[in-house]
Amino acid sequence: MMRKMRACGIALGVTTALVLAGCSSSSDSGGESSNGVTKVVVWNGYTDAQAKNFTALMNEYNKANPNVQVSQLVSSSDQVLQKILTAVRGGTPPDVAYMFGSWAPNIAKIPQVVDMTSYVAQPEWNWADFYEGERAAATVKGKVIGVPALVDNLAIVYNKTLFKAAGVAPPTATWTWDDFTAAAKKLTVPAKKQYGWLMPGDGSEDTVWHFDAMLWEAGGDILTPDNTKAAFNSPAGVKALTTLQQMAQDKSVYVDTTNAQGTKLMNSGKLGMMVTGPWDLSSLPDIDYGVQIMPTYNGSSAGHQTISGPDNWVVFNNGSKREKAAVDFVKWLTAAAQVKTTSLASGDLPTRESVGQEQSFVEALNKKLPGSAVFVKNLSNVKKARPPVDQYPAVSEAMGQAIVSVLLGKAEPSAALDNAAKQVDAKLAGN
Amino acid sequence: MTPPVGASTATDAVRPSDDESGLEADQPERRRLRLPFSPWHLVLIPIAFILIIPLLWMLITSLLTPSEANQFPPVIIPRELRFQNYPDAFTTAPFGKFLLNSTIVTLVVVVSNLVVCSLAGYAFARMRFWGRSALFLALMATLMVPFQVTMIPVFLIVKWFGDNVWSFMGINHLGALMLPNLATAFGIFFLRQFFQTVPVELEEAARVDGTSRIGVLFKILLPLSLPAMSTLAALTILTSWNDFLWPLIVVTSQDQMTVPLGLSYFQGAHTTDWPLLMAGNVMSLLPMLVVFVVAQRYFVQSVAATGLKG
Amino acid sequence: MATVTEDPARRPPGALRRLGRSEHATGWALASPGVILIGIFGLLPVLLSLKLSFQKSDLLTPETPWVGTANYRKLFNDPVFAAAIEHTLIFTALFVPGTMLVGLLVAVAMNRSIRFISVYRTAAYVTMAVSTISEGIIFLWLTDKDYGLVNSALNAVGISSQPFLSSTSQALYVIVAMTIWGWTGFAVIIYLAALQGVPVELHEAAAIDGASPFTRFRTITVPLLSPASLFLVVWLTINALQLFDEVYLTTRGGPLRATTVIVYYLWDQAFVQFQAGYAAAMAYVLFVVILIITAIQFRISRRYVHYS
Repeated sequence: MMRKMRACGIALGVTTALVLAGCSSSSDSGGESSNGVTKVVVWNGYTDAQAKNFTALMNEYNKANPNVQVSQLVSSSDQVLQKILTAVRGGTPPDVAYMFGSWAPNIAKIPQVVDMTSYVAQPEWNWADFYEGERAAATVKGKVIGVPALVDNLAIVYNKTLFKAAGVAPPTATWTWDDFTAAAKKLTVPAKKQYGWLMPGDGSEDTVWHFDAMLWEAGGDILTPDNTKAAFNSPAGVKALTTLQQMAQDKSVYVDTTNAQGTKLMNSGKLGMMVTGPWDLSSLPDIDYGVQIMPTYNGSSAGHQTISGPDNWVVFNNGSKREKAAVDFVKWLTAAAQVKTTSLASGDLPTRESVGQEQSFVEALNKKLPGSAVFVKNLSNVKKARPPVDQYPAVSEAMGQAIVSVLLGKAEPSAALDNAAKQVDAKLAGN
Repeated sequence: MTPPVGASTATDAVRPSDDESGLEADQPERRRLRLPFSPWHLVLIPIAFILIIPLLWMLITSLLTPSEANQFPPVIIPRELRFQNYPDAFTTAPFGKFLLNSTIVTLVVVVSNLVVCSLAGYAFARMRFWGRSALFLALMATLMVPFQVTMIPVFLIVKWFGDNVWSFMGINHLGALMLPNLATAFGIFFLRQFFQTVPVELEEAARVDGTSRIGVLFKILLPLSLPAMSTLAALTILTSWNDFLWPLIVVTSQDQMTVPLGLSYFQGAHTTDWPLLMAGNVMSLLPMLVVFVVAQRYFVQSVAATGLKG
Repeated sequence: MATVTEDPARRPPGALRRLGRSEHATGWALASPGVILIGIFGLLPVLLSLKLSFQKSDLLTPETPWVGTANYRKLFNDPVFAAAIEHTLIFTALFVPGTMLVGLLVAVAMNRSIRFISVYRTAAYVTMAVSTISEGIIFLWLTDKDYGLVNSALNAVGISSQPFLSSTSQALYVIVAMTIWGWTGFAVIIYLAALQGVPVELHEAAAIDGASPFTRFRTITVPLLSPASLFLVVWLTINALQLFDEVYLTTRGGPLRATTVIVYYLWDQAFVQFQAGYAAAMAYVLFVVILIITAIQFRISRRYVHYS
């Protein structure tokens, strides 16, 4: 029975300890080995070419900075948030983590997240060189919470062969949504199970940001300027959603409710067009594709727009020494020279405007991954960003459900958007 | 484990189980119509095929080129078999180390579960003790709250153990992967149910002869429960081997990663390298198949034949 | 207590009664290693997260103000949660008997010593060993509205294509079918182990008495399998009520929340919407639901479960 008694003691001890641990989160002064080397741990979700490039850069940095030891942990980006939130709770966050931009307003609330505002204000950061949309996405209520790690945007990727076969002229930079829908209709061949376009229809943020760009082009907005009420149920919103409704009704769009097949269908020659980002280009080896900026609405003063989903390097505070080392590494990693290396190695768009404007660089990138040049140029069409409110996940969810309900023919655009607006207003009011 | 009397006849004992279920009528007039093979193959082959479709898909995908893997509808007959995916996958990350970690964790977890759960399972199945029902209910209750909710408290408890008891058990150590899984309510419940099916008379005779409870458990019940024990072992090995969410949360350096975590090297934010991912999956699956083929020998051992007849 | 089923130890024969004195101590001693481990790593976390359900927490800020029963009150006015409960119950009601029936039939078919039988049994085991990702992808393909094999088959026999996972009325049933497929191996393995305990003599005796194979199956095999069946009912129900992976990997709760089950909604609230307190409240409503259903299963089982 000794064992039982002892174990009971342990159980009691654990309970007490947890209560205590809850009060005083132990600040870890560790991370420094005896020889004075500061350790910096970076969590990322890099695979393949991106991973190789990051590892090479990290090794280069370590060689040049013998008193700092940067190490990385590859973690499934899909569920990395659960890992980070748990680690923060346990007082063991990484020093730097790659985080999706749409999390920014929420990440900003974590006390251990380092406020980068004063760092990036230093001239050697050249903060203004990051694209405006990136800076906006990394800034929450005037506070910079991360440094752009990746930038993308949406454009039309089309199958040249299918366009030729259907006798449709390829998309131009002056296309309207009417041109787009007309082309999609002609590209649809039911007998071949071929569709003009594919729309992600799982109601996730992926569905929503496709709509966001259309909404902005129609002259609309997601929320009112003071971010207190929904604005997407405006005539502009109805116009954008009606475009989707019409395409769903004439069956020229494949509504991908599980959001799993898009790229594969495109690569298999089953889709005339996709609206997608630069990451998909490397997965289309079997088709002759072209890239064009998104169409706009006829007569709209908003012109051609797109949406960008920048991701960030977020720095966590693990003591001032590690914080300083981590910030320094991020500064080096996101400097123009490294941005260029990363972009050419991985095919990602450059996160800095000075790099994006360098003609020889853009040519080299486009050679590596045809079509990239259009995406680089399209970065200047990023005119608006998602509203940086911490209720954004709820805004996105309500809009996603409204869009899918129209795509599936369950609701009319204006009714669906009004209904979503009501939910969003309630959330923004704090319910 | 000492085999019970008559266990040596296990191979003979399997034979009568041929029509144990009673569905197969062994009447003489049917014999004339007999196929050169058992007609059951005609039933079992389609069943087995349906069951292994996911495995076939994994095998095929693991041999595709990147271009073939980017097709929908998927390619089912590859133009060429790209075996290179296997060495490629294996060298993407230190998978040898991951396999070793997974093996260590799984071995400790399965041995611990077999011992701890059989002791508790026996107590709950056969003994009357104070608070038994409430205790059993409390154990079962732990199965009823999703891990997504208890994850953070479990993390904090394990961290406390690492900081205060033994650092091997702490965050980012293999011990942390074992600790919460050393005993499971699943195992206790499973063995409790199976122990209850063993005829109680066998035990009573031994107890009257003065054998202790533990003695009864180890000398009589466990040998009779080989099918259940090996089933529990196979299931526990599988769960531990494939565990993803908990290792994801506690492992924070590459040298402590297990195989399922290592597979995230093929899943990027926007793109997944399906051929390499599936090659990795197949490599992860192979040890499990070996385990099952070995464990299977004990699955079929007939309790009735070995225990009662012997 | 509902969990007490028929109990051989409750009626010890005279000779054993003397030994019963130390029973409490021995019982605790045997159970304690498991009880302590599960107590610390299972029960304690459950109690700690219960606290969370009475707090407002986003998992981001350390402040977790007490909100009393606000999270629970909010649940009862949440139409999505009501729908999630409905979907979860429908799923469970179809999945549990479906898996058990398929599992039993396949196990019986595999419980014979013919050649290659170990290959067949391994096939059943494989369904447990392969990742749910693979199953999800295959089901997405098989049931695709345009390119799926199921629709090709339906078209071949003159039935028009079905939308399956992209239909709000069919998606949940596709998930049921997929999950049964994935769990069949588990039920087969459990039943195969249990079938080893069915004494051959009983069958032989009944056969001599002229009982048909089906009668023997119904009157001998099924009752003797009842402890395993109880185990399966309870275990499958507990898992079905906490369905997550299959939904996460295919429909993500859609289309239009048609496959949003409780744990998926809970995960969405905790890790997408950052409403951890609210998610914890859901978990405890679910907990009570599971507890009640499990208790009922054990109680009913007293009448039907046959222990030797």
